[in-house]
Amino acid sequence: MSLDISFIGILIGSIMASSVPLILAASGELITERSGVLNLGVEGMMIIGAISGFALMVITDNLFIAIVGSMFSGVIISLIFGFLTQSLLTNHVATGLALTIFGIGLSAMLGKNFVGIPGKEFPILFSSLRESIPFFGPILFGHSIVLYFAFALPFLTNYFLKKTKLGLVVRAVGDSPVSASNQGINVTLVRYCCILYGGAMCGLAGAYLSLIYTPQWIENMTAGRGWIALALVVFATWSPIKVLIGALIFGGITILQLHMQAIGFRIPVQFLSALPYLMTIIVLVVISRDSRKIKLNTPTSLGRIFYKEK
Amino acid sequence: MATDLRISNISKIYPGCIANDNVTLQFKSGKIYALLGENGAGKSTLVKILSGVISPDNGEVFLNEKNLKLSSPLDAKKNKIGMVFQHFNLFETLSVFENLSIDATEDNKSLRVRINEIFKKYNFSIDLDVPVLNLSAGQKQKVEIIRCLLRSPKVLIMDEPTSVLTEQETEELFISLKKFCDEGILIIYITHKLKEVLSLCDEVAVMRKGKVVSVSQTQNEKVETLANKMVGQKLAKIKKKINISKNKDEIFKVKHLNFYSDDPFETNLVNLNFSVKKGECLGIAGISGNGQNELFQILSGEIITPDTSIIFRNKEIAKLNPKQRREYLMAFSPEDRISQAAVPELKIYENVALNNFKSSNFFEKGLVNERKIKEHSKKILSDFSVNTDNVELKSQFLSGGNLQKLILGRELITAPELLICYNPTWGLDVGAINYIHETLIKINDREKSTILISTDTEELLKLSDRIAVIYKGKLSKIMPSEEVTPEKLGVLMGGGSID
Repeated sequence: MSLDISFIGILIGSIMASSVPLILAASGELITERSGVLNLGVEGMMIIGAISGFALMVITDNLFIAIVGSMFSGVIISLIFGFLTQSLLTNHVATGLALTIFGIGLSAMLGKNFVGIPGKEFPILFSSLRESIPFFGPILFGHSIVLYFAFALPFLTNYFLKKTKLGLVVRAVGDSPVSASNQGINVTLVRYCCILYGGAMCGLAGAYLSLIYTPQWIENMTAGRGWIALALVVFATWSPIKVLIGALIFGGITILQLHMQAIGFRIPVQFLSALPYLMTIIVLVVISRDSRKIKLNTPTSLGRIFYKEK
Repeated sequence: MATDLRISNISKIYPGCIANDNVTLQFKSGKIYALLGENGAGKSTLVKILSGVISPDNGEVFLNEKNLKLSSPLDAKKNKIGMVFQHFNLFETLSVFENLSIDATEDNKSLRVRINEIFKKYNFSIDLDVPVLNLSAGQKQKVEIIRCLLRSPKVLIMDEPTSVLTEQETEELFISLKKFCDEGILIIYITHKLKEVLSLCDEVAVMRKGKVVSVSQTQNEKVETLANKMVGQKLAKIKKKINISKNKDEIFKVKHLNFYSDDPFETNLVNLNFSVKKGECLGIAGISGNGQNELFQILSGEIITPDTSIIFRNKEIAKLNPKQRREYLMAFSPEDRISQAAVPELKIYENVALNNFKSSNFFEKGLVNERKIKEHSKKILSDFSVNTDNVELKSQFLSGGNLQKLILGRELITAPELLICYNPTWGLDVGAINYIHETLIKINDREKSTILISTDTEELLKLSDRIAVIYKGKLSKIMPSEEVTPEKLGVLMGGGSID
């Protein structure tokens, strides 16, 4: 195989595509966690998004409805989490784990009739430019709209958190819900919104898998990506830009090690398979060494239940 | 415009405790009002009601004869009632400006202008773009005050504002409060410090067990009369007789104590050297967060630092852990009673057993000898007048004062040669403080030594034979306590120099 320049372009393009679900889910979870809520149900919400997106596509034959519907289903399932943790004040960790188990089971049940049905081709943008420009063409063009959205999302999230009033409120609630409440901020409402937004993004991440990346329904097709997204948020120390970097490294090494396995490198396959996880953690730990910055980005109240005095 | 705030028949009942019992009070602008009472007297409940954090079971609040519905903090804000809480309501990881802008209605530019106007008017100066966690307690309080001022309040409530301030910061605060008062802001000042009431306030209402027991002009009051009203009984006066004898043995000697930490929340300690003589109390003053935590942990053996030499009774103990140090007859009383000194979920007798693994045959062949521990615990409860004789009670149900007595009792029952305590009376009421102080003096009378790390200057001056000040991890020179005044301590605690 020749490592010519256009091949590298295609390779980078495919790395970008493979990191999209991680970016989407992690960006959503980042907002949720920044408000002080630890939702371990990312995997469950993603898989629900995947099946509902695919099912809606098959039923309505309309990709737009499928995409919006997958986000909506993410919202619905995260609403269960929100109701339990914010209204009934249950433990975040236990509730999130239950949500994941529930999501995986429910998606398998709902998906029974959709196994083996071929997906629909998802429209890609600027496909002519992709072919005509060497190297940069396959990187910049010929992707689905969801990919462009995913790559804009970390920057939008960063802007939202740092520059907007609402972002400030979210950070304040995550820092000290008691103070926020005493300032007249409706902590429960803010946290509900962040949870539902996280759900929507996880739903979209799932739909990307079942509608665009590998257009079909396979049981358990998220294959742990939700957990990776969760880990990315923590290792990226709640910084959206670092989430993007982490997702790209993970996606990149996943793709590269597959190529290496195919070529037949004399490295044990198990090690190659473990490589994406190892490298992502190492890189994120190295770029997030400034303990001062970590303190400033970490939502102090993460995972703690907030009781309002009466 | 004059402001008139009236609280009428307010009651708030929590399970097992009447926090406010038919409280009626009236305040008018142009004066500073004190609300005085011990911990648990119901002051905080009352101000939480005024600020809309909790709602009363009964009663009404009138502002200029308008009946206020205060069902959320927003209502208090709308009605121009500003509140500075004892435990700051700030967002530590956000910048000062973000803290101030979070509930502002104007754009950032004009907000900055207004903040700078306030800075100029009251002589404040704080960097707006640093995170709040970098500020000193005094600066944090100023941020809280500015946040209130931005809303041009009619009423400003200060809940125990000086508990974290130095003498100088307290003076500055008082000057600001008097200015606010002259501008027509009604100020309600909550405290349990009697001297502050006398020096700052015009009128004082005393609360005890949820009730208002007296309202009077401060000019007619003295420290003693207020204290008696507050406690409801006469308090014995404690005075320690200072014993500095130059030729006594040094029982405890620390050399080259250095501590370096990456954690921005921890303070580095730089080359501390000091010693304690037999029967002496060495006081270490300072505003919290200047290295006291780290110092206490190093002295107790929770943190082991390299190259430090700690000689105790002629033995080198710098590498020993807390348990081993206890075996050499050291004892420790940490600042945080609930999470460091005792396990709140455990019963009293279980907590007593915790630090006595070796001694007094509490354990036989790996089994717990419950009977012996209980006997021993009962003795502590009665010897240290803890307000219960039920050793099966979970420790979390003890009040702060009783828990502190239990902890001191537990530590002292082994007759230690040196007791190191950190803020032993933090958050306690006058009665309990008196008892703890008497106990600490008795230790010195028996020729045993104490190291008292405290943020309360009055306490230090009362109990210490010699005093040093810790500031940003450095220790000042050690001074005999008769040469020390609160003012001198204040200067040193704020980083100044007195020579």
